[in-house]
Amino acid sequence: MKYNLELIKNKKKIIGFSSVLILLSLLGILYSTFNTSYKKPINLGMDFVGGNELRIERVCDDECSNFSPDLVLENLKEISKNKKVFNNIKLQFQNNNKLISIRTPYLSIEESNNLISNLEIIVGPLNYESKESRLIGPKLGKRLLTNSVTSLMVSLFAISLYITIRFDKKYALLALLALFHDLLIVFGIFSWLGIILSVEVNSLFAVSLLTIAGYSVNDTVVIFDRIRENLKSNKEGYNETIQLSVNESFRRTTFTSITTLMPLLSIIFFGSYSLFWFSLALSLGIIIGSYSSILLAPSLLLKD
Amino acid sequence: MKKRQGWLFFIIFLLTLSVYLLINYPLQLGLDLQGGSQLTLQIIKEEGKVTRDELEAVNSVIDKRVNNLGVSESNLQTLGGDQLILELPGEQNPLVASRVLGKTALLEFRTQKEGTSTNLKTLQLQRLSINELIEQYSFAEKNQINDNFLKIIQDNLNDIEEELNYSSTINDLYGKLIEIKKYVNKEITNLFIKTDLSGKDLINAGRRQEQTNSNWEVLLTFSNSGGEKFAEITKSIAGTNQLLAIILDGESISEASVGNQFANTGITGGSATISGNFSAENARELEVQLKGGSLPLPIEIVETNTIGALLGSKNIFKSLYAAISGLIFVGIFMIFNYRILGFVSVLSLVLYGFFNLALYSLIPVTLTLPGISGLILSIGMAVDANILIFERIREELYDGNTLTRSIDSGFQRANSSIVDGHITTLLSCFVLFLLGTNFVKGFAATLGIGVLISLFTSLNCSKTILRFFTTYQSLRQKNLYLPRNNF
Repeated sequence: MKYNLELIKNKKKIIGFSSVLILLSLLGILYSTFNTSYKKPINLGMDFVGGNELRIERVCDDECSNFSPDLVLENLKEISKNKKVFNNIKLQFQNNNKLISIRTPYLSIEESNNLISNLEIIVGPLNYESKESRLIGPKLGKRLLTNSVTSLMVSLFAISLYITIRFDKKYALLALLALFHDLLIVFGIFSWLGIILSVEVNSLFAVSLLTIAGYSVNDTVVIFDRIRENLKSNKEGYNETIQLSVNESFRRTTFTSITTLMPLLSIIFFGSYSLFWFSLALSLGIIIGSYSSILLAPSLLLKD
Repeated sequence: MKKRQGWLFFIIFLLTLSVYLLINYPLQLGLDLQGGSQLTLQIIKEEGKVTRDELEAVNSVIDKRVNNLGVSESNLQTLGGDQLILELPGEQNPLVASRVLGKTALLEFRTQKEGTSTNLKTLQLQRLSINELIEQYSFAEKNQINDNFLKIIQDNLNDIEEELNYSSTINDLYGKLIEIKKYVNKEITNLFIKTDLSGKDLINAGRRQEQTNSNWEVLLTFSNSGGEKFAEITKSIAGTNQLLAIILDGESISEASVGNQFANTGITGGSATISGNFSAENARELEVQLKGGSLPLPIEIVETNTIGALLGSKNIFKSLYAAISGLIFVGIFMIFNYRILGFVSVLSLVLYGFFNLALYSLIPVTLTLPGISGLILSIGMAVDANILIFERIREELYDGNTLTRSIDSGFQRANSSIVDGHITTLLSCFVLFLLGTNFVKGFAATLGIGVLISLFTSLNCSKTILRFFTTYQSLRQKNLYLPRNNF
């Protein structure tokens, strides 16, 4: 057909490229575990460690006046009863000074309300209709983390089981290898994002990993199905048949990725803020997943 | 052909049914789309698991309290065996709810131990001074009075701490004041002996403003047996210098003497009042708690999410934009690459959208932000099935097969790949739904439903529509199916 990927020639390059990606991911995970303030493989968000996240818009006539976050914090501290709030607080102005976002350790609802009313004294009127606040206790955070890790493990196990029953050992092993390759790289990218941009992961990140798992296996399965089918009517050599099958499935795999990416990109660009990193993780997973099903998994199937 | 026509009517019937459902049973929107607050209550049990009965008991107490609070359209449900989720739609302040729900509200009546009068007097005086200090503190807070004033409060508090031989570990002044007040109240409780009268003997509670000042008092109405117990207890201490204490969650909130005139019969009539310096708000909260009864196990509020109504409606629009633009991009892409086949897939996608939404209103699924992203993502997966089929059809056409045959074998040969792909995604959804939190469940539910419906729309609806198209001679030209520039 029209597409002509030279899988056999480029086997080494492909495996090398994947190895580099995996090494970089492992490096990020190790660096994050030992060299950051949070000492975790990935920067866990408040879903998992507990805390208070507050976003509220100011009411301004034309433009919102400029405040220095440090000064606001200082003033806040002065007029607040409860000083414990200020142990580990982050305050940011976004959106042309219109949006204020605050992160603190876990507060009670009362403490959180006091914080907002004090903030109003300092920066002027706030629009309570636009308020978004999340308070998560540390206990619940721990539980969410265990839950997320368990669901990830259980569903990986279920998928592995299904693949092993459905395919021969060799295919199953490679499909799973490609799956872990994809998950590890997405995880690594977010480790790096945590180190460089202090991006945090929350429970939706665990959901995105799970979704990527399903998607990646699905992609690989479609190509392996094709390879099996073509091997049955074996006209050319083994390696050539594999290369042919990949080229035959190439259009389908890229098209599917494109049509899945399109809605995701719509969420990234038009959707709500809270879904931004989630959609980004999914998009990355789909791109890497397609790469591993088209190039990596079949290359590993090739004989020397 | 007859059979396919049957399917066509069936699909049209389903579409009409969906539209009918959507008009008559509108979709339920989650709090992140309509604004409101959501509280997660965790039942605390030191040892062992929370049993089903205990969960039920806690649930019913919380339910009563919520109803007595008078919040409108609230929704209470259990989650995962030891949690409850309370949703308060609209602009209702979760603060009051959290105060009322979080307390165990165990009400006890106790009589004073003999020979503790002096002790009690000292403690009562200390409580009085602490209350005064708290008032002064609030005054200073409101009027931004300088630090010297706070220093005086601090010094006075230190004196009390010394007298009590107790020091608070809390750093900030307000927290300290509250903690020491609690400590004193507990010390007072220790001077009293338990009786068999408790909150369980109440049948009602109320509140009214005291005549002499602006404080409020809480009225208690006992059951028959409770009234008898109350008479018995008051009779036993009437005319002595022993007091009767009313204790809430281990803290004494009021101590009263019983006059000599009750020495013969005790206080009869089956009612009592608690007057313990209540503000209107506090009195109402206690009333609600007593009416609902005490919680069999303590609870803790572990999560509170609040979303303003404006933000909620913004979220709806943003999601709508994202969903519609995503659909349009996918539609253009499909028609560009697959011509008539692409058009068929757009039609079956539209059907897919309707069926999905109709099922949400039927089951019902509450639509949340993660739920919408699950739906949007499942659009991509629904198209995937179409692409698999169309690619096969193209191949068959290039191999020189007739249109009808190509379509038939295209659907047939893509079948196993489609089913495989859907099963792996369904597995993930299933696990997510079982183990996930509320937030995650929304995503798993919509994605899972989407994947199931896509099996029907891509395998059946697409085929039926395509068959219907190919009954027209003018729509049977091969170049309508194959873009000329390829190959």
